Amino acid sequence: MPLAPLPIGPQGLRALSAAIGLLISSLVQAENLTIAAYPAVDSIAKSAAAEWKKKHPGFELKIVSRSFPDHHTAMTTALSTSSNLPDVMVLEVGYVARFAENGGLQDLSQAPFNIKAQQALFVPYAFKQATARSGAVVAVPTDIGPGTLLYRTDLLKKAGITEAQLTSSWEGYVQSGAQIKAKTGAYLMPHARDMKDIIIRSNLQAGEGLYIDNKGKVLINTPRFERAFELARQVRAQKLDGKINAWTTEWTEGFKRGQIATQMSGAWLAGHMNNWIAPQTKGLWRAAQLPERSWASWGGSFYAIPKGSPNKALAWEFIQMMTLQADMQLQAFKTEDAFPALLEVHKDAFLDQPIEFLGGQKARLLWREAAQKTAAIDVHKLDPIAEEIVNTELDKVLDQGKDIRAALQDAQALLERRARR
Amino acid sequence: MKTSRFFKDRLSPIAAYLLVGLGAVVMLAPFYFMFVFATHSRTEIFNLPPPLLPGNDWAFNLAILTDKIPFWKSLGWSLYVALASTALTLVFCSMGGYAFAMFEFKFKKSLFLLVMGTMLIPSFLSMIPTFMVMDALGWIDQPRALYIPGAASAFGIFLMRQFISASIPKDLIEAARMDGCSELGIYARIVLPLLQPALGTLGLITFIASWNNFIGPLIVMRSPEMYTLPLALRSMQSPVNTEWGALMTGSAIATLPLLVLFVLSSRRLIDGLTTGAVK
Amino acid sequence: MKTPSTSPHRWRLTADTVPYVLLAPFVILFLVFGLFPLGFSLFLAFQSWEPSAGLNTMKFVGWENFAFALEDEWFWKSLRNTAWLALVSGVPQHLVSIPLACFIHNAFKRWRNAVIGAYFLPYITSTVAIAMMFSSLFSTDYGLINQGLMALQAWLPWGTPQAPTDWLGQAENIKPAIAFVVFWRYVGFNTVLYLAALQTIPKDLYEAATMDGANAWKQFFYITLPSLKPMIFFGITLTIIGGLQLFEEPFILTGGRGGTDQAGMTTAMYMYRTAFEFNDFGTASALSWLLFVVVALLTWITNRAFKPRGGGA
Repeated sequence: MPLAPLPIGPQGLRALSAAIGLLISSLVQAENLTIAAYPAVDSIAKSAAAEWKKKHPGFELKIVSRSFPDHHTAMTTALSTSSNLPDVMVLEVGYVARFAENGGLQDLSQAPFNIKAQQALFVPYAFKQATARSGAVVAVPTDIGPGTLLYRTDLLKKAGITEAQLTSSWEGYVQSGAQIKAKTGAYLMPHARDMKDIIIRSNLQAGEGLYIDNKGKVLINTPRFERAFELARQVRAQKLDGKINAWTTEWTEGFKRGQIATQMSGAWLAGHMNNWIAPQTKGLWRAAQLPERSWASWGGSFYAIPKGSPNKALAWEFIQMMTLQADMQLQAFKTEDAFPALLEVHKDAFLDQPIEFLGGQKARLLWREAAQKTAAIDVHKLDPIAEEIVNTELDKVLDQGKDIRAALQDAQALLERRARR
Repeated sequence: MKTSRFFKDRLSPIAAYLLVGLGAVVMLAPFYFMFVFATHSRTEIFNLPPPLLPGNDWAFNLAILTDKIPFWKSLGWSLYVALASTALTLVFCSMGGYAFAMFEFKFKKSLFLLVMGTMLIPSFLSMIPTFMVMDALGWIDQPRALYIPGAASAFGIFLMRQFISASIPKDLIEAARMDGCSELGIYARIVLPLLQPALGTLGLITFIASWNNFIGPLIVMRSPEMYTLPLALRSMQSPVNTEWGALMTGSAIATLPLLVLFVLSSRRLIDGLTTGAVK
Repeated sequence: MKTPSTSPHRWRLTADTVPYVLLAPFVILFLVFGLFPLGFSLFLAFQSWEPSAGLNTMKFVGWENFAFALEDEWFWKSLRNTAWLALVSGVPQHLVSIPLACFIHNAFKRWRNAVIGAYFLPYITSTVAIAMMFSSLFSTDYGLINQGLMALQAWLPWGTPQAPTDWLGQAENIKPAIAFVVFWRYVGFNTVLYLAALQTIPKDLYEAATMDGANAWKQFFYITLPSLKPMIFFGITLTIIGGLQLFEEPFILTGGRGGTDQAGMTTAMYMYRTAFEFNDFGTASALSWLLFVVVALLTWITNRAFKPRGGGA
């Protein structure tokens, strides 16, 4: 025999190879923490992979990315059958409300999570948005969209309007719009519907939701909606809106050509405008608080743990890392323009930096103030239908000249009919 | 009348050609723009009027595309699923169509009604029960969940039935039977070869349907590495920050296999067998 | 040489049994994958259910969903929209694709594949590209369609609009816009189907007719059309079913919202929104079964119209 005999017999060899196989497989088959997300939160989660690896070397982050509607459809499907749920679920604010009332998400105010102990660390309205009516905290906010008014300072100057005139009151806003249209030809806002959207969100009494109060009474046929519809009607009647819907080519083109003078939205829009929507208009825009000291929010992302999640403890570790660690929140802020829900980050020097797109304005300080002052609005499961009803009636008022009183009455009746089911 | 003859013989064919040509341009235009957009950055795409000629951001877009999603892998999965789906569908649907067209049997009417009935349910409502079935079978994240269920599609059976009854005379089948050919032999050796145009058509349509299907993968796939193209491309769409240039590039590349398939099968389809069937 | 297999213990497929073998794949697949979703959807139509709450939260409500749907003005509005769109987009498709298929069949030899390819392209263009393209084309102030119409206005003052048309924003205009996109997308598909069917018509029929002195029109009406009948039946049935279930094109042109005053909201879209936006799967299922009844009825009518003498094909 050319080979020397081996020191171990065939039995030993077999045992050894089995042991090696086990070792290799345990190294190679790292356990997965599944995180279901949509853009851009998925990028934020992906960039956290390195940090996560440091803390939990045996566990890989598996990020399942889907488009925004696809993701929520997939989550609805998984929750409906309580199977194939991810460990961590990213949810947008609208869906948090929906899923919260249904009991599919883990209540994080319970042990061992006890999120309520850290309530004061978060932007108040965001935390409230994650709280169901029963008091259960079903998600943790990670980024928010404080409302802001972005306006073209050059167009305002040309029309002889000051920021104060623009933002003193809603009526003043509309009047300024008429002047802007007359002197520069630019629209005040993309769509009159935006006017209605913002006004119905202001001056809410305690216990009132947007469309329905907490006793189930429909609130459409009320002065709040009347004012909203009336101002929207005026905007349209004076041709101050371009009938342009957001995220269309007309909308982006309107910005590029200076045809749209103001836009109300979440603070994150400034970043996108700079990135790709209208980078050539750099320096021409400024940010202000919404007129009449109104406060509203656009969007916001949350992390939640489904009740059927396979690995809740680890999921909680991940969520804590993303939402309670100031450096992670700051990183997301810097790279993806995700305004942090963690209050500690609001003290960072990053917020003092001038924003070039806004002509060097330190707008993040404005937005910090907005975040503090915004109040959460009670949600109701009929909100999506109510929104559709109101929008359809508004269309009739704006396009077909329907009487506002009649429109509101019809809307009220329609919603009441659905509320009875 | 010389002038009327002139109109009839010379002008109307020219007019017809012009009209058809114009129509072809209208059909082509958006497709053309998709490829043009694929070569521009997203700021340029959103210009109005949109860019009319190709730009030079092609490589840039491709880089973003392959960075965001496992594009080539998804392409591979799409190809695999579409080919399997087409193969199975061609076999099962030609069988089914042949049965309905050429035979009388008990339950024929009710079975055909069942076939037609399955065409009438919109797919998005059956998402949740389909998910439950796939979960029970253990087929979540498996490509077979995409190509097996729809393999005997009502559309295919219906198409085959119409085609067979229009182009294959019953006497031919009878003659073959009397010659001693087995039933399956008739199917394989006589019916199938005569079905070339229909098979080509059905194959093409099935491939395209499978290729563009995103609801199936949305229900079944839980891992991005298993996504087919539509799902992968859609996963790039953010409400506020989509990389439109890369998305157009991905969509344009995704259309190329369909184009190739069309060119290949149109030979069979259009220059295909003319008859001689009765002989 | 082997004797023919007529021995008794060798089961042969006869003309009586082979249909069942041929249809077995369909039946098996249907039993496994089709039956449960069908039954579930029917069951769900009688329940009130919000999916994300889990399966065990279904509540039986009897016929309430159906009653609600039948009294719902949005349901009827969506049916009117759907009927209009199905008709206006469907009829031209066949009126155009049959002559077009004949023309391409006869007139083009070398360019045949290219021309049919051009017409088929819309069918394979991705939805994302279509959405993008047409929103841009239909844009009121900057879109190419309006630019074209304005230019045409200079030549033909009558019949063309004076001001740029708001295609996607105005309730009356969104329907024609959607109908056009649907027509654009499927006319090539139908042309391909008819072209394939045209291949099966024996050339000698035409030769004999020409020798008898029949001109092109007579040949078309007495040879081509009757031979195409099975395919026309197929095409029209498909257009009816597809038209009544129209979802994708209105969805992408209205951004999923249905357009101003829901003018572009088809029943299928209303169904989708009821399920996924308004979270009411029970009503959505009821709506789908109501739509099913409508489609089944129309399909049955088509069936009768095409087969006055009965028979299998």
